[in-house]
Amino acid sequence: MLELLGVAALLFGLFFSAVGVIGVIRLPDVLTRLHASGKVAILGLFGLLLGAALLMPSSALRLLTLGLFVLLTSPVATHAIAASVHRRQEIADEIAHESAEDSTPTEETPFAGANVTAVLTRSRIQDIIEAQERALQQRSRDAGHNGGTK
Amino acid sequence: MIENALAQSAIQLILLALVILLIPASWRVVAGPSLPDRLAAVDLITTLLIGIIVMLALVEGTQVFVDMAIALAAFAFVGTISIARYISEGRVY
Repeated sequence: MLELLGVAALLFGLFFSAVGVIGVIRLPDVLTRLHASGKVAILGLFGLLLGAALLMPSSALRLLTLGLFVLLTSPVATHAIAASVHRRQEIADEIAHESAEDSTPTEETPFAGANVTAVLTRSRIQDIIEAQERALQQRSRDAGHNGGTK
Repeated sequence: MIENALAQSAIQLILLALVILLIPASWRVVAGPSLPDRLAAVDLITTLLIGIIVMLALVEGTQVFVDMAIALAAFAFVGTISIARYISEGRVY
């Protein structure tokens, strides 16, 4: 009778393990897949542990220890994975928001993303003008010097 | 060992089914589109391995395998927590 109960509990655990694995394959989202894998960790594993404790009563204390440990750690691990999903989503939203702020058109920059380009172009044009003026002065000085000797 | 032959064969079949369940979980590790998917699938594989070790203890009739399952659960918890922190923050501590 005890063995029959034990095999029934093992089948319960196997059923929920199979349901959880099928859910991890089939479900469409990360968080729903986490939900399915939580079913394997609690219902499936606890069915297996209960069946093992009924079939092998001498190891019931170790199985109880393992069950308590899994009961403590499995929700914490699942919550850590879910928090990492949330945090990655937040970081992606921040990056998208910042790049959208950079490329919004204003009065000074009439088209998107033109602000940095305009500043760079202005300083580059000033550099070119200054270099041309310096070259012109040098050439006129050289010309005047040569003209003096000739 | 379990004396009843029917219970023994049922335990062996359940062990075989749990080992077969490892295959789709490993597929999710390979094909998961994001990093938390793969991490959740690795966590699922570890949970299935704990169940497999408990079933192996039943088949062999050895209690030492349950201690191995406890150690595997402890190390899997630490690993899952640190990898989840790494893929969200970019550092472990």
